[in-house]
This record gives sequence, structure tokens and C-alpha cells, in this order.
Amino acid sequence: MSVESQSLDRYSRQIRFPQLGEEGQRALLRSRVALCGCGALGTVLANHLARAGVGSIRVIDRDFIETHNLQRQILFDEQDVAENLPKAEAAARKMRAINSSITVEPVVTDLDHTNILDLVSDADLILDGTDNFETRYLINDAAVKLGKPWIYGGVIGSEGQTMTILPGETPCLRCLIETAPPPGMTPTCETAGVLGPAVAVIASFEAIEAIKLLSGHREALNKDLIMVDLWDWTFRQLKIANLLGKVDCPCCGRKNFEWLDGSMGSHTTTLCGRNAVQVAARRPEPLDFADMARRLTPLGEVRHNAFMLRFAAEGHEFTVFPDGRAIIKGTNDISKARSLYAQYVGS
Amino acid sequence: MIYLDNAATSFPKPEPVYEALDRFARTSLANPGRAGHRMAIAAEEQLDAGRNTLNRFFRGEAPERWIFTLNGTDGLNIAIKGIVRPGDHVVTTDLEHNSVSRPLVALEKAGVISLTRLASEDGYLLPDAVRAAITPATTLVAMTHASNVLGTVQPIEPIATIVREAGAFFLVDAAQTAGVVPIDLRSLPVDLLAFPGHKALYGPTGIGALYAGPRTDGRLRPWREGGTGGDSSSPTQPQALPHALEGGTPNVLGVAGLTAGIAWVESRGPDELRCHEVDLLRRVVAWADDSNGWRIAGRWDPETHVGALSLIVPDPLTPQDLGAILDTSFDIAIRPGLHCAPYIHRRLGTYPDGTIRLSPGPFNTPDDIDAFLRALSEITVAMS
Repeated sequence: MSVESQSLDRYSRQIRFPQLGEEGQRALLRSRVALCGCGALGTVLANHLARAGVGSIRVIDRDFIETHNLQRQILFDEQDVAENLPKAEAAARKMRAINSSITVEPVVTDLDHTNILDLVSDADLILDGTDNFETRYLINDAAVKLGKPWIYGGVIGSEGQTMTILPGETPCLRCLIETAPPPGMTPTCETAGVLGPAVAVIASFEAIEAIKLLSGHREALNKDLIMVDLWDWTFRQLKIANLLGKVDCPCCGRKNFEWLDGSMGSHTTTLCGRNAVQVAARRPEPLDFADMARRLTPLGEVRHNAFMLRFAAEGHEFTVFPDGRAIIKGTNDISKARSLYAQYVGS
Repeated sequence: MIYLDNAATSFPKPEPVYEALDRFARTSLANPGRAGHRMAIAAEEQLDAGRNTLNRFFRGEAPERWIFTLNGTDGLNIAIKGIVRPGDHVVTTDLEHNSVSRPLVALEKAGVISLTRLASEDGYLLPDAVRAAITPATTLVAMTHASNVLGTVQPIEPIATIVREAGAFFLVDAAQTAGVVPIDLRSLPVDLLAFPGHKALYGPTGIGALYAGPRTDGRLRPWREGGTGGDSSSPTQPQALPHALEGGTPNVLGVAGLTAGIAWVESRGPDELRCHEVDLLRRVVAWADDSNGWRIAGRWDPETHVGALSLIVPDPLTPQDLGAILDTSFDIAIRPGLHCAPYIHRRLGTYPDGTIRLSPGPFNTPDDIDAFLRALSEITVAMS
């Protein structure tokens, strides 16, 4: 059914919001979104966008649903865990059940520098539902190269942040943070925990920005870096607009797309012999094992010496080396290993 | 970086190899034999020079019996798949690299051949075991000249005689020996010899060779057919070697590098090159004997050893962790794991973790080995 002939009754409450109106709704229905990651942020985003009537949504995620996801990943339930469904597929089923008039395309894959352009080139907007910096820098490179808007969001514990990036008009992620923190040096949801409502707040900020942008209301977009802590009840808006052109940004300034060309980012190898995968992060800063061990303590015993740090999680043994590489035992699935690395070592 | 992974591929290459590659790529990189112009002729001459060099170095029957291949695996596949017929019995060993064992197991699973895999003793295959395994249906004995895991050189002379007397074909994988163990095809009854060019012959990756002896004439069927540069009017592949088995544009640049590499080996002599590597390994063996918990895999006999050696890693270390530690903290490259040869690791009891293998080359020094051993000592202490 064409957007013009489609009944808009189901969206009537949204259409009555004067700034959106019928015209804005039809613009949403004509829009295409690439949702990168369908975990905690991603399911909230998918839920909002499907209900709001974004016409075409591609959901990209490499992971399968596990019980400990259900605390915050709102589209999934115990039946999905029992069926061992990929997140992208389960999300697509729920989204179609919520709104059969939109098109949902699940893509079960590891988003990387070889496939990202294919997966986001036809989108009007890229949304960040990822859990790691490596993929965010990759999205940033792709978005800047293609001149496409994207919305960054991230949550740890009760804290979250988000910003809307319009390449050429606003600072990009690398204007703000030029280099990704070294692996192992930032908390992750697996080491520091995460609260569902905090994720829902940040994802809702991303979703409302998406609705504004796709319905043609760029004037209403957020131009700041938004940082919230729902436990401490602190809200901050950092004015960042003046960074554009002021910093020597390797990405949007010098057009040096190091993550997209594959020169940055991790490299995985299935190791000969063992049921093990080596994830090598191509970054030279040596890790601080003592600090890392403190962060990982909630998981159980963490042993380390000058050469390596070892811990176990989810039945996998992790051996992390000073240059950020890790050998993850108990799997030979590269996607799984990359997920585990992002979740426990961090990238 | 201290590079001790020459059994995987040699690095660095001798200077004349780099020079030959550069010179050839700049002046003569045409398609050989297809056009007749001067550059095509220069490329064709390089192929001829390469075959002549191989034939002289290994004392083959004729230059045209040398087939240029992609690598060792390619040559072994051409040999194995070209020679066996339905119902054949093939004898092999537990020392083999997957490049021999996988094609054979695939043929066995497809019901084409029956397969006997002989067990080695301390890294050596006993000739009597081959004698006992051969049946009237045996058409092929396929085995490695030296274990890529252990570095042990196999007694192929008596085995070749046994196979020849039984009337079967003898295929030798010389990946670890070509360039360091003299091979004289005039006196050694080997029918098929395959090796890559990028190990101890110091060529680049992407080039290898297969020798097809006279007994294989008419038996070795091509499984890759295509352009051969001459005889283009024939609807089928030409019968004559080497073109029968060389469909497609060959890697002439690789041949140029390989030819220069063999010339360099000839100038040094295979014996001297092998002794240099074995002398370096003696330091490792002595260290392991004095160590607490480190063991050499297989029997150490310097006279029948090439420059590869496996160490069995004591608990709680694992080969993979150790490889990563040596790389990240000490800048030393070795190879942990199964080395694409799972059967010998099962035999040694080192499956599935494997061992760590070090394989020095002609440019390594005693200092390199001592640095490696100091690193092992330091890691062992830190882990205990």
C-alpha cells in the first residue's frame, strides 16, 4: 500500500501533535532507518520506531538472545530464549506484530568495515544501538563518508549519553573523542552493570530525535551532548556545536576513515587446535591490568601478572594480553568472540 | 621482531631474491609463451630457467617433469587426485600435514580409496611398518619427508626402495626438507615430489613445484585444465608435461623469486643451512633438559633433524597463551597449536592444545635463541 493511500488512523494521536501532523507522519512512513545493534538500546528504539510508523527499518545484530538480556531488552521474552533466536530475527517478528504496515528487515551479522556501507547506504538515518566504541567509530566513519545523519547513544549503570550527528553541520563523534579508549579501560554493562530504565531514557532520546529528523524538523534537533545519571538525578547539556571546524578532526576534518578502511579496529583469528578465538585490538597502549582486575572483580577470580590477565565469564575463559588482544576459549565462533570481547574487555 | 617461524614460511628472504623479484616485475612480467613478443619470450625463458634450476638442484630426469604449482598443497593435490583410481589402497602416516591427509581422507570418505595410516615411533616412521602395510591393492604411499611439527627427517631411502619393489607409486611431501636436506632423484626411487617454494627455498608465497617421475607418465590425470600457451587448437588438454598439468597463466614472478632462492641455497649448500638451524636448536634442547617441566616432542637426533622443534608446554601454560605472550611482551614469533597436523598431536598426547614450535632460519643467531629461552624462563617463573 502506498504511503499516500494508507490509512493513518493508527497514528492519530501522534498526528494531532501539531509539529508532526499528517505531513510529518507520511514522511516517517517514507523513511528508511538502519538500526545498528538490537540489545537494550536497540529494542527500545525498534519498539518506538515501529509504533511511530517509520516505514522501513533494517535491524542489524550478530547476537542470540540470552536470559540475562530480558532484564532490559524490552522486545524479547522467555520463549525467544527457549527458541534460541537471533536478536535481529526476534525483534523483527515483534515489530511486525506491533505494526504490520511497515517493512522490517532483520540482518544477523557482525557489522564491520567490509559490510557497513552496504547495510547503511540506503538509509535516511543510522541509529546507534551498539555496546562498544569500535562499532560506533565505524558508524561515525560511514556516516561522515556518506553524509548521513546518525544518533549516538550509550549507557552504563545508571548513566547515559547521547548526541545527534549531522555530518558537516555538527561535530562528529571523533571531534568529541578523537581516539577510542583502549580495550579493558572502560566499564561495560557486563562489568559495571546496567539499569533498564536508564537505557530506556537514552533510547527514547534517540528515538524522539529520529522522529524529528525523519519528519523534516531539523530545527528542533538537539545540538548538545546530553549526559544523564538517573541514580544521582543529574542532567547535563554540554555545548559542543563550536567544536565543528575548531578541532583537527581526523574523520570529518581530514576525511581519514581509519575504522572504515580497516586500519583501526579489531582483528579476529580462530586459533589452530583449541576451541578458541583470538581477538586482537590494533591499539598500542599497554593495558593497566591492576585497574582492569578491579573492574572485573564482580565476575569472580581475576588473576594477572606482567604478561596476562585471566578471568572466566559465561563459561568462557578469557586471557587478555598487554596490547589488548585476548584469547577467548570455549568458542570458535568469531561473532560470539567479538561480542564477548566487547562485553567483558570492552572496546 | 625475532622471527622463529620459518617452518611456516621463511623470513626474511635472501637479498638476491628481493632483487630478482623487483627486477623481473619491472622488466619481464609478461604472459609466457602466449604471444611471441620479446617480453613474453623473456617470461617463457624464466619458466625454463626455473625448471632447469629445479632439475639440476634435485637431479630430476628432465626439466619438463617439473610442474609449477601454487604451493605445496596444490602440488600434493595434483599428485594424489591425479594418481589414484577407484578401489586403490593408499598408505600414509600419522606425521602428515593436512595437505596430504585431507585429500586422502576425502577420497576415503567418498569411497574411492581405502586408507591405512601408519603410526610413527617418537616422530619416526619405521620402514618395516610400510612393508607390512602394503597390499596387492596398494598403488600409492604418500608421506612427508620431515614432520612439520617435530622436525624429524624420515628414512625415505629404504621406504622408497620398499615401495618401488611393491610396484606402488611413492609421493613425498618435501615441504620441510627441500633446500635443507639433499634430495637426489636419480638415486632415490621417488615418483612424485611436492614442495612449496616459500620455505627453505626462499621464494615468495604463491609458488611451489611438483616433480612427476617417468613411472607416472600417462597415469597422472590433470584436474585443472585450461590455457597452456601453445597447441591452442586442441579441444582438450595437451598430454605432454609440463603443460598437461599446468593449465592457466603460471606465477612467473614467483618462479623468478624461487629460482633466485634456489641459487642462493646452492651457494650456501643445504647441509650447511641445515646444520646452522640444528645448532641453534641444540641450545633449546639443552635448555629443556635442564628445565623444570619443559619437554621436547619426539626424539632428538641432530643428524636426522631439520630446523623445526616442538616444545610440550607445562601446565598451567597453554601453547596459545604462550604464543601471544611471546608476541606481545617479547616480540618473538613462534607457532602454537596443531600446525595443521592433528594426527601426530593425538599420537603425542598434545591434542587439542598442541605444542609451541620454533623454527629458526639462516638469518637467526644464537642471541635470538637465547632471547627466546630467557623469555620462556621468565614466563615459566611468572606463571608458577
